[in-house]
Amino acid sequence: MANTKRYWSGLDELHETEAFKTIQEQEFPESKSVDEFLSDDQLESTHTGRRDFLKFMGFSLTAATLAACETPVVKSIPYTNKPEEVTPGVANHYASTYYDGQDYVNVLVKTREGRPIFIKSNTQTGVGRVNARVNASVMSLYDGARVTGPLMDGSETSWGVVDEKVGQAMAASGRKVLLTNTVMSPSLLRAITNSGLEHVQFDSIDYGAFRKASELDFGVNTFPSYRFDQASAVVSIGADFLGTFGDSVYYAENWAKTRNPEQGSMSRLHAFESNMSLTGSNADYRTMVKPSEQGKVATALLKAITGEGQAGELSEGVQAAVAKAAKDLKSAGERGLVVAGANDLNLQRVVNAINAALGCVGTTINFDGTKLLQGDNASVNKLVQDMNKGEVTTLIIADCNPVYHLPNAAAFVEGLSKVKTSVSTSLFGDETASLCSIVAPTHHWLESWGDLQIDDYRIDLVQPTISPLHNTRNWGESLTVWSGNPVDWYTFLRQTHSAGYTAASMYTDADWNKAVHNGFVGLEKGEDVVPTFNSNGVADAVSALNGKTGGSFELALYQKTTMGAGQHAANPMLQETPDPLTKVTWDNYVTMAHADVDAMGLNGFIGQEKPASVVKVTVNGSSMELPVFPMPGQAPGTIGVALGYGRGANGENIGKAAFQTGENGSFLTDEAGNLVPVGQNAFPWVSEQNGLHDYQQLNVEVAATGGTYPLACTQIQNTFMGRDSIVKETDFMSYFNEREVAKGEASWNRVVKLAVHEDVNGDGTINAQDAKPTEAFDLWHEHAVENVGHRWGMTIDLTTCTGCSACVTACHIENNVPVVGKDEVRRHRDMHWMRIDRFFASDYSLERGEAEGEGVIASYRKMEDAAANPQTVHMPMMCQHCNHAPCETVCPVAATTHSNEGLNQMTYNRCIGTRYCANNCPYKVRRFNWFNYPGYKKFANFNPAQDSLMRMVLNPDVTVRSRGVMEKCSMCVQRLQAGKLEAKKAGAPLEDGSVVTACAEACPTHAISFGDLNDTGSKARAISENNRAYHALEEIGVKPNIFYMTKVRNVEPNQA
Amino acid sequence: MRKAKFMMASTGFKASMTFSKTAIVACLLLFTSHLTAGIWDEGEIEAGQALFNANCASCHKVTNEVLAAPGLAGIADRWGSSEELLIQWIQNPQGAAESGDPYIKSLVDRYVPTYGWMTAQAVSADDIKNIMAYVQNPPDVAQVADSGSDCITVDELPIEESSDDSGMWFTMLLVLFLIVAMAAAGVNRSLSNASREREGEALLADLPYSQRAKNWAWDNRVVVSLIGVFFVAYGAVLGYQGLMRVGVVEGYKPDQPIKFIHSVHVCENEVDCKYCHHSAYESKHAGIPSTNVCMNCHKAVKKGRRYGETEIGKIYEAIGFDPESGTYIDGEGKNGYSNPQDSFDGEPIRWNKVHNLPDHVYFSHQQHVVVGGLQCQNCHGDVETYTVGRVANVDDINQLVDKYPGLIELSKPTLTMGWCIECHNKAEIDLASSGYYEEIHGRLKENLRGNEELRKYMEDDKITVKELGGWECAKCHY
Repeated sequence: MANTKRYWSGLDELHETEAFKTIQEQEFPESKSVDEFLSDDQLESTHTGRRDFLKFMGFSLTAATLAACETPVVKSIPYTNKPEEVTPGVANHYASTYYDGQDYVNVLVKTREGRPIFIKSNTQTGVGRVNARVNASVMSLYDGARVTGPLMDGSETSWGVVDEKVGQAMAASGRKVLLTNTVMSPSLLRAITNSGLEHVQFDSIDYGAFRKASELDFGVNTFPSYRFDQASAVVSIGADFLGTFGDSVYYAENWAKTRNPEQGSMSRLHAFESNMSLTGSNADYRTMVKPSEQGKVATALLKAITGEGQAGELSEGVQAAVAKAAKDLKSAGERGLVVAGANDLNLQRVVNAINAALGCVGTTINFDGTKLLQGDNASVNKLVQDMNKGEVTTLIIADCNPVYHLPNAAAFVEGLSKVKTSVSTSLFGDETASLCSIVAPTHHWLESWGDLQIDDYRIDLVQPTISPLHNTRNWGESLTVWSGNPVDWYTFLRQTHSAGYTAASMYTDADWNKAVHNGFVGLEKGEDVVPTFNSNGVADAVSALNGKTGGSFELALYQKTTMGAGQHAANPMLQETPDPLTKVTWDNYVTMAHADVDAMGLNGFIGQEKPASVVKVTVNGSSMELPVFPMPGQAPGTIGVALGYGRGANGENIGKAAFQTGENGSFLTDEAGNLVPVGQNAFPWVSEQNGLHDYQQLNVEVAATGGTYPLACTQIQNTFMGRDSIVKETDFMSYFNEREVAKGEASWNRVVKLAVHEDVNGDGTINAQDAKPTEAFDLWHEHAVENVGHRWGMTIDLTTCTGCSACVTACHIENNVPVVGKDEVRRHRDMHWMRIDRFFASDYSLERGEAEGEGVIASYRKMEDAAANPQTVHMPMMCQHCNHAPCETVCPVAATTHSNEGLNQMTYNRCIGTRYCANNCPYKVRRFNWFNYPGYKKFANFNPAQDSLMRMVLNPDVTVRSRGVMEKCSMCVQRLQAGKLEAKKAGAPLEDGSVVTACAEACPTHAISFGDLNDTGSKARAISENNRAYHALEEIGVKPNIFYMTKVRNVEPNQA
Repeated sequence: MRKAKFMMASTGFKASMTFSKTAIVACLLLFTSHLTAGIWDEGEIEAGQALFNANCASCHKVTNEVLAAPGLAGIADRWGSSEELLIQWIQNPQGAAESGDPYIKSLVDRYVPTYGWMTAQAVSADDIKNIMAYVQNPPDVAQVADSGSDCITVDELPIEESSDDSGMWFTMLLVLFLIVAMAAAGVNRSLSNASREREGEALLADLPYSQRAKNWAWDNRVVVSLIGVFFVAYGAVLGYQGLMRVGVVEGYKPDQPIKFIHSVHVCENEVDCKYCHHSAYESKHAGIPSTNVCMNCHKAVKKGRRYGETEIGKIYEAIGFDPESGTYIDGEGKNGYSNPQDSFDGEPIRWNKVHNLPDHVYFSHQQHVVVGGLQCQNCHGDVETYTVGRVANVDDINQLVDKYPGLIELSKPTLTMGWCIECHNKAEIDLASSGYYEEIHGRLKENLRGNEELRKYMEDDKITVKELGGWECAKCHY
């Protein structure tokens, strides 16, 4: 029977209106006929006829063609007197040390033609690994907003004038104070002592309670040294030690050392926290608690482990989690470790009591006098009071930004105006420097000599990698000048390390040069003394913690892994690196549990056209309006707000990327004409008591405003919706039981088989059991890459990948990946070659749907929602370099092809921008240049390639792409080519590990291994043959050269 | 022949990459009688030649000629002191001079005031043995003496006139021809009319030239059509050829701020290419020598044969050198320094780049010269006959094949991608040259059996650059 259904193209057609009928009769509706057009009187008066137009066109075309044939004259200017170690085109690496008051790490600085362009870990002689912040910090050297010379009262002056003025102030009577962050340089400390200034130290993020607790309980006023590599059970109470807490650059690598299931054992991590932190997302067991309950978790742990004290009141679920954590800690004994993040003296004392009871002091935690984080806010408070009393005549501020970071900044600002001579040594005219009468800019750390000492084992050296770009001077040298004994800073440094100092290995020139080459010298240190625990006061601390209660909403302020405490606000690369958990760029916001979002009637799904709802948050009477990001894993009844945003709120010139730009690329301004900073400053919400800063507020008001605000989020989908071939995971026992099973056979990593229409198993019938692995299918001719020549491949261990995003920034700096700004990221036009997909687990499954009588579609839909407290997977995703690449077959101009080394090559100069390849890529890793990012005005205010100074950071070995071409991960082909050349020159086979991609090099946890899969001895090959290795989306049979390793969680069976 | 040998030696040069880049080059000296076993007769001539060319040749000659330092002919006879002192004299001249040796003193008195101290050479005692072996018995000198130098000397080099006015002459001739033709046509018509008048025929109409040309064309339409077809075809061919030359830069020879003459340096004075363009062996760039490298010789050579002091003076201006006193100048204009002063704020020499590759092309000199063992001439032609640098023409390069054995003949214009990949298709890889290639080749051989895909590599006995991936995009574009 014929189909009698009618389909309408619209209601007009259905109702057959008159207008519709008229239009229907004309096949080509014309609003104006040709005659009408030609009879237009005005047509005569127009000057450009059709023929003229064609002539112009023809002329322009010819002219443009001819102009293109012209060979432009390019100048080539050699050195006049070439430095011996510089060869144009060859990179040099220099050992140095990065310290910004928060991160302390030994680095190697890569320079090209004298320009630092890349920072990586000094793995040979250093400790700690470069994170995303340190990696991207090379850009700050070239920031056009840097102060270019000494300033007095805002106008340029000479060093002579400044020196005279400050010298007089130093010689005059009165109280003269130097305010710095924690100074870890022996030479700076010596210069400070010589200058006779009163020295006050202040950290942007306060850890005073840790040191106070150490002093009270162990008699050592120090920040604890955590040794996560020694721990087999770790309990973190709100401490994001993988991301931003303490010496995180050191902790992450150490923690990952204990997370290798092939070793036969894994450490276990319990996290109790309110915001979903990087650490929490990597925890085996994560429990949501409110800030007011964190203390109670500690007291409950103490009670469970020692039987002492009184357990805090907690919900049943949390109690069970605490009991489990206590059980693990007890069985770990001295290999257990409890670490709490809150700067709360009582909490830290209880944690000390637990650690002491476990007997882990001396193994996983020690109090051996690390010099990190010595800030003393009691002294800062006293200083502010004295400044307001007018007692301080001279204040020199170095390496810190109190006006931004202090909660009582207003009092500080007022006091500063009463100081007769205020000097800032800041690199930028930041919040503090812009209020000082004199700015005496110091060198950037990449331009400066220096020394640093983190503990008694070693002294790390800082060496200049470029001549100072501006008329600046190391502030240590400035101190020597102002105190009347001017010494060149390098000479001063050498004096510090001359005879009499403990490091004998730096006295002679040869020893010194060796130390500079290595970046450090080791020191002799006496026996470690394990301090004894003094339990006085634990009972008081317990009752204080148990007495904490919170209001309807509690606030936990946190730092983003990408931004830290705000020192990198003007770094466009970091601003555009997505937060590892929320995947939001260019903003801070309120994170709120889905339950609360729904209860308040706010937007629960943020997309390109779905802006976030705005709420007004009031803390102790101070309010801000912030967008709400609905965050799985956020404890209900709590909100989180990131610190480190809202820099330059009064229009301070701290760098262009710190300010918001509109859709046309120009800066946004507020009513007063000031630039609008990216995000908002939450430091005023930090409270202060007894000289300790508290980053948790137990009673805040949150009210919907009805407004909306667009957030630029790079990942909308929260779960992988049951596609188990993307992420494979298992629990440790299941892994352990099948650890010897052949690859592809284990229950947690079974090879994907597709049913075929032939009798594979030979049972006489053809049915669903007749299946072949995807390896068996070849849709088209295979590239002969296996076993011949090189076959570059990478393995990524999802077990140790923490999602820290160091690989992301490393990749983007290495490969000149453009920064596109918030507006374009919001349109999903980010250019990230490497992204980290963050998947939350869903409570729902097909099985559950079936049991509940839901249909398959409905079940899948429910699987899109993450659980309230989900398990998390971080999955780095970049071009998989498929040997059966779907992108290659659809390119009409063969711009993307396969190399016989297994690389999927992208040839920019061939690409015509059809974007077929991106559409055909199952991994969605190809990026299209929608604009000319290095030239178009929309990107002028944040794209590094558009800044005449900051473009010096671009890697000269990698093309800067132009508009209209596709780009993607090249597997750092420039490094591969360079590595092969070295091997050829050496006349020896390429050594495994001598060539490494930027991401693998940057990975602090060694989750990424890179190598030649055809080299039977390579590490990558060995890992790819491990039974945990699998291909993402294996069933589509594209045969990638990237292997993922099944994630193993150290949880009870069936909880993974 | 002399040149050929000299350049070949340069390709064998690998060991001496350790030499100090900014070093001058000079080696030894003189006087003595007896030959003791050791330094004078243990070295290898071939290795010594490479070392000599790399380190010494820009100042010393193996003949008696004084270039920027004494010639070294007969050195074994002149050197009277110990071998150790000779080694010290080369490695640390000032140190050796302190020994008080009378012969050294005589050398210092005679040469240092004019040419300055020899730069200390980073050569080992073994290297010196090899150099001595070469200096005493330079294989190519004798031949040169026979054949005479085939260098184009400065005096023979034409002074270049850039204007090419043959086109103008052609146009003028064409115009003249037209005028003559038109006049002749007028005369022809008058004569025709005169004869027609006599014969009583009708006179030819007095038509304008254009009309008459049309008429003539119509009368001879077959011939005119053929000619027309010919011109259309000719135009098409010309147009095609013209379009194919778009982006071809063969012969590009920009004016340079200094009228540098390659032939004087390379051919007459035998300075090795890599002495100035040393970074071709260390980097992707061949590089333009930094001014301090020029000064290694031009501290002594202050006057050129063609341009006198004007062109060399530009170097001095850039680096801050006072030729009168033979010393360097600092930022405050004071002279008396023996080394270039950083404080001197000279304007660097702004050369015009000759070989411009687009930004999206990654080319490594090191890969081609060090690993591939290519000679400079293979891509740059006979630079020793050039004045300032220019882009070589592929046909000119092909003619050098007899002079430089091993040079690969190509057909596409230089500096085009066709040229690159043509060579990658032809150039063979010497698998035995490097353990790297041996290992890669080993992998191929191991897996050859039963693999059709791989057999194609082994169809002939050679492995070309292309077969190793030299035609793949991401080898040069990334």
